[in-house]
Amino acid sequence: MTLRNGSTATLGRFLAVVTGWIFLAGCGNSGGGGGGTTPTPVPNTVALEVNSGPANNAVNVAFADVTICMPGTTNCQTIPNVEVDTGSYGLRLLSSAVNFSLPTITDSSNNVLQECIQFADTTYVWGPVAVADIEMAGEKASSVPIQLISASPTIAVPSNCLSLGNPGSSGNLNTVAALGGNGILGIGNFPQDCGPNCAGGNSFAGYPYYLCPGGVCGFATVPLASQVWNPVALFSQDDNGVLISLPAIPAGGQATVSGSLIFGIGTQTNNALGSAQVYATDASGNIQTTYSSVAYPGFFDTGSTGVYFLDATTLGPTGIIECADAPGWYCPSSPVSLTVTNNTGTNGVEVPLTFSIGNADTLFGNLAFTAFNDLGGDSGTGASTDYADFGMPFFYGKNVFVGIMGATPPSGVSATFGYYAY
Amino acid sequence: MENLEERHRWEYMKTTFGVLVMLVLGTAPAWAVLGEYESSVGLDQQVLRGEIREEVRQGYKLHQITSPNGTIVREYVSPEGKVFGISWQAPFMPNLQQLLGSYSTEVQQAVQSRARRRGGPLVVRTDKLVFVSGGHMRFFRGRAYVPSLLPNNISAEVVR
Repeated sequence: MTLRNGSTATLGRFLAVVTGWIFLAGCGNSGGGGGGTTPTPVPNTVALEVNSGPANNAVNVAFADVTICMPGTTNCQTIPNVEVDTGSYGLRLLSSAVNFSLPTITDSSNNVLQECIQFADTTYVWGPVAVADIEMAGEKASSVPIQLISASPTIAVPSNCLSLGNPGSSGNLNTVAALGGNGILGIGNFPQDCGPNCAGGNSFAGYPYYLCPGGVCGFATVPLASQVWNPVALFSQDDNGVLISLPAIPAGGQATVSGSLIFGIGTQTNNALGSAQVYATDASGNIQTTYSSVAYPGFFDTGSTGVYFLDATTLGPTGIIECADAPGWYCPSSPVSLTVTNNTGTNGVEVPLTFSIGNADTLFGNLAFTAFNDLGGDSGTGASTDYADFGMPFFYGKNVFVGIMGATPPSGVSATFGYYAY
Repeated sequence: MENLEERHRWEYMKTTFGVLVMLVLGTAPAWAVLGEYESSVGLDQQVLRGEIREEVRQGYKLHQITSPNGTIVREYVSPEGKVFGISWQAPFMPNLQQLLGSYSTEVQQAVQSRARRRGGPLVVRTDKLVFVSGGHMRFFRGRAYVPSLLPNNISAEVVR
């Protein structure tokens, strides 16, 4: 698969022509796995550990080790406790966790490309885009743009990055305590965090890329090749997606969980799609989830602590209520079983999925536990804002595949924007 | 050979990147914000570089701004000319301060008084404001409305 070749090369040349700026197409291309020869299999499995993490405050977070290297060298560092996140795209590391000075991406005037990533709850990360080689198990990706989350920004966070406009608030996830880990490994279904929107000159609310000449930040147009990449898409093999495999845990929770993050889908003997059902996503990375005859956006996100599903008013008839002392979490008096149907996307088949929501107060009351399979909370305030975020509780006891946009599932169905399968 | 190529390519990368300054904004542009008059809706259109569509509905008015990247911002205006509700769908988070204006302090206070739900949305309900911001990278959506500004006989569910 040559996710990165083709489209970026064309775009690079186009930019050079229209702007007069020098741009070399194809930088960082790792060659892909195409060409008809089957590469020699490499170890493709890293450990996933669900525990309280380095800040001793994590619940339902799957951590992995990520090795980064100075590009083209064997000068490497293994960063432990990086949060594995199928709901974002790209590697972001706390600058305080990185021991060497990685090269950064700059424009021709040596201004360093900066990025602001904002999350829905108004938290954010801010810092420069750097370049590193990435190694996980036997997989290698060369010259991958990553984000370094600035511990103490040398360039002030621009106002457009502060969705609430209050610098100095706790919204900046730039410490181990605030982030809960040393970084975020975004391995969802897109190759880059922004994509064509940031390469084509469309500024918009929350635009992520900045250049800050003289400390004054403005939006920057960034070709796909220079955006922050999902590292899996740049592996020299097993680059078409991942398999997340976590064992089942009891209702009520478990202290810790050990599982596997396996690279590639249908590329080795340990990552066959088998009988897993493929759910093709839309351009936003969502599938369609239907509950009680109403269709909502749905997605599968290891970066979510709970299953964030609809709202307590809509779910009122089931006995689900909000916790009185923990806004947003669900506190039914006894676990509630819910059944939805998930649409396969390509051929429109509705497949039932049943999951359980327990009492968050009771679950959190067991301080020794960091893994819960029935933790739930709200996603919105009514039909127009509700969705189905199948977070970590969904993943226990399953093999869940995440297929990256541009790769056809081994089952042969069409999945233009990538897919989930389980 | 592979290494040489690698290094060679890297030398190029260090000096040449297709990054260019597109727009430098010295100050945050003004928006038609929640609770204020609709007169500056046109400014929002400029900020979003979008197509604006105005619809007069039973009991209120709706301005919808759609930009080429897929961002949709809707502003709901009462017969008195005040913005009583706002909703958005966008690939990245909107600037909530611009959308919420003085009501952003309600959200700020709520954020500071509660534990973060990792990967989760933010839902705030106070006497003055109902607010939700949810989604994931490349998919954000939410809405906010001021209950006291809802026109007579208009349900909050029109803000969507």
